[in-house]
Amino acid sequence: MTYLVLAYAFAVVLLGGYVFWSLRTLRELERRQ
Amino acid sequence: MNRYEKAAAAAVALMLVAAGAIFLYAPGDALQGPVQRIFYLHVSSAIAAYGCFAVVLVGGIIYLRNESPVADRFARAGALVGVVFTTVTLVMGMLWAKPIWGSFWTWDARLTSTLVLWIIYAGYLLVRRLAEPGRQAARIAAVVGIFGFIDVPVVHFSVTWWRTQHPGPIVVNNALPAEMLATFLFTLACTLVLAAVLIAIRYRIETLLDAKVAIAEPAKLVSAQQPEAAP
Repeated sequence: MTYLVLAYAFAVVLLGGYVFWSLRTLRELERRQ
Repeated sequence: MNRYEKAAAAAVALMLVAAGAIFLYAPGDALQGPVQRIFYLHVSSAIAAYGCFAVVLVGGIIYLRNESPVADRFARAGALVGVVFTTVTLVMGMLWAKPIWGSFWTWDARLTSTLVLWIIYAGYLLVRRLAEPGRQAARIAAVVGIFGFIDVPVVHFSVTWWRTQHPGPIVVNNALPAEMLATFLFTLACTLVLAAVLIAIRYRIETLLDAKVAIAEPAKLVSAQQPEAAP
């Protein structure tokens, strides 16, 4: 069970973090444009 | 909320529904126990990564043919998103392997070829990051992206070409019960939607970055064409 939780926690952090970082980068670039 | 944020919110919502199916709908596995549920996102992420690297392949071929900046931007976007999904695949696989095999890693054909795939496209991103923006970097990266794709069928068929510790194909062999198969196919569809949305967002970012370079250093433009809006 520990490994299942760790695996999905990692996926959530990486994919969620990437989505957040992408949207923040995009917003920042569009604001500067 | 712009259209990219709306698309990202929809993709995240779909992934939450997929998580619901994985943890609430799919039946447990009598042999492996709870860790079997890692399979749904692990395999879906691997297939999403194949799709992303196919975008790099097609983008690279088109760029080498007509130096289209649109194709080059799609290739850059596909490589980054593909590396993210390959990382998910590798780490989730390692966390499945520990309780099942007793170790996080073994140098079998599937695991090694997947690690090589990650290194190839991480190298592609490194070339794009370190080289001066321009035709030369784009051409070198296109060649890396095209030849790097050779590893995708090697990864996919490694479990049938060689004797590996990694489980063989179970979806195409009808080895999954109906509920598990439905959960897998739904998770796969949601993951592919997420990958497509992430590529579209990254494409837009690359377009804006190209426009920034074009303003600051016009000579370093990948081509003479002006950056275009995202499709």
